[in-house]
Amino acid sequence: MSTGSILETIGQEIIGVMSPVSICMFLVVLLVYTVYNPSATSSAATTIRTAANLVYLESPSDSTSQKLEGAILNAVVFVVIITLVTFLLLLLYYYRFTNFLLYYTRFSVFMIFSAMGSSILISIIQRFNIPIDAVTFYVLLFNFTILGTISVFSNGVPIIVKQSNMVVLGIIVAAWFSRLPEWTTWVVLVALALYDLAAVLAPGGPLKLLVELASSRDEELPALVYESRPNVGRNSRVRDSSLGMLVTAGIGMNSDNNDNGGAVELQELLRNVGSDDVNETRERAHMVIEVGQNERRTNRDEIEEVREDVGETSPLIGDSYNSVNDVSSGGVENSNGENRALQGNERDAVGMEEMNSRGIKLGMGDFIFYSVLVGRAAMYDLMTVYACYLAIISGLGCTLILLAVCRHALPALPISIALGVMFYFLTRLLMEPFVVGASTNLVMF
Amino acid sequence: MTVAAGTGYVLLALGPSLSLFIAVISQKPFLVLTLLSSTLLWLMSLIALSEIWRAFLSFKTGLLCPYALVILTSVAFQEALRLFLWRLYKRMEQILDAFADRVSKPHLFITDRMQIALAGGMGHGVAHAVFFYVSLLTPAFGPATYYVEKCPQMPFFLVSAIVALAFVTIHTFSMVIAFSGYSEGNRMDQYFAPAVHFTAGMLTLTNLASRGCVIGIPLLYGIAIITLGYCGKMVWKRLTENRGTLH
Repeated sequence: MSTGSILETIGQEIIGVMSPVSICMFLVVLLVYTVYNPSATSSAATTIRTAANLVYLESPSDSTSQKLEGAILNAVVFVVIITLVTFLLLLLYYYRFTNFLLYYTRFSVFMIFSAMGSSILISIIQRFNIPIDAVTFYVLLFNFTILGTISVFSNGVPIIVKQSNMVVLGIIVAAWFSRLPEWTTWVVLVALALYDLAAVLAPGGPLKLLVELASSRDEELPALVYESRPNVGRNSRVRDSSLGMLVTAGIGMNSDNNDNGGAVELQELLRNVGSDDVNETRERAHMVIEVGQNERRTNRDEIEEVREDVGETSPLIGDSYNSVNDVSSGGVENSNGENRALQGNERDAVGMEEMNSRGIKLGMGDFIFYSVLVGRAAMYDLMTVYACYLAIISGLGCTLILLAVCRHALPALPISIALGVMFYFLTRLLMEPFVVGASTNLVMF
Repeated sequence: MTVAAGTGYVLLALGPSLSLFIAVISQKPFLVLTLLSSTLLWLMSLIALSEIWRAFLSFKTGLLCPYALVILTSVAFQEALRLFLWRLYKRMEQILDAFADRVSKPHLFITDRMQIALAGGMGHGVAHAVFFYVSLLTPAFGPATYYVEKCPQMPFFLVSAIVALAFVTIHTFSMVIAFSGYSEGNRMDQYFAPAVHFTAGMLTLTNLASRGCVIGIPLLYGIAIITLGYCGKMVWKRLTENRGTLH
């Protein structure tokens, strides 16, 4: 048994989700700040007409109340469109048009990489005066698009390539969404957070129905989901989902060590966190931890002897898993995005539980809307960016902890977006005058 | 200022933190989470303070009084935050120890505790540097730079970077001292952190006087070095006296 400290391994899965989100946000901010700087392009205002501003095209000269009304109208229309499309998705899935959904998702990813991605690349080239000719550009773009599309959907590609292409996807869509006018962006974000809350948790919500349908059929949804599979070493012993166990340890501590109280549901909380295709039994990284209903002292002995057997790999006990769903193709024609973070379930065996250190899954829509919020904050000032980044990350952390406690699909947008919007306005209106005033006089604390 | 100069300034203020981060904190995911949470808490304290004091700083006078009051209350508030962080940390420590029992690993080592305190302190320091310094820097890219009339020897950004570096050091290591003081009940350690913070804040008030930064900043660095030395001595003492037992 290794005598390393627990500090080395706790929290790995949370970091596994937070790193790509942070990278995506950072790159979107960089992109927005250097390329789409509004002060530079405000004169040549290319107001693209997307699904998010069908009703009202904001222009800087409107009055405040007009902007607010227009933004709310836009947001309502957008949410209605998304709801309709989600119900359409539900219907198609119910009638087993799975292939259609799969092909449609692939097509939309291809379009995102090629059309939207190329437009961003062209703006970058223009901004930095990179000398590149059209033929080279097309060849490179083609390569990049094909690789991206294949890696996002196939399981034969190394996971790091798949993850990077997912992040690039998120960056592209988020950079596009950041070009919406300001009021519309904020109101749409808030409206989407509320919609997400309703769609995932309310009894008639489309996403909830979708997840239940998928889990009852034991299938995975044809959706875009980021999986944060940690790199598990060969000798990984005690490992994650330490998050679940950590939370139980916290809860179990309150019920003062008596036998029944101490039997805090470790069993239910140890679970398969991750995606499992039935074809993926070749993935062998998991371990066995025995859980008993007794108090912890006896557990210790049982854990010891079980650990001796973990050398070989045994096939996964059949899983029923839920997966996050997201179909996101932003852009001119249509756009929809649903998002949740969620954990899979697994049935228990007698006294033995198999645990898969797969990591957490996060929908692409989450990436996108977090980055949109941060990108829009970047258009004001970078102080708001830092504040919003911290708010979103802490919201994500809270959601993940809630996930470990609640054990079913949770919407990842509401908490983060709420915190992000709140911190943005607080920082912009209150903190910035204070801090700038103090530090330009070199008075700091 | 140019991008090269800007990068240089940022590295001046945040370079040691970056190397500390890469060497120590990024190795253990839990420390990264601690860093992020303590940064967030510092930000929230800053927002709360700015809510109270926003009106006062619109006075463009170089008067000492409002600034002194601002610093007094801000430092008091943030030291209260440090106490609150200590409570949170105790709770977290209990949870972690219970978790260690469940997976039959040893309880937290003393080095672990110190690393958590370091991560917490660094969160505060990085938050200070980012919000007081880096966020001013990034809009200023481009031709020309900015000088403050009270301290015209160096560009504003350079002076500010130097001050930020001192504060990062102070914040990072005084948290280690404070946590160790709370856990052992050592009065001297416990009062060290607030005293140092308060003194450092007050020293920056000298920057309000013309040419005051020539005096203020070296003294500030004196305080930072004292903090570093004290922390090193205290850590050495704790590690050597507990040599047998690692808890």
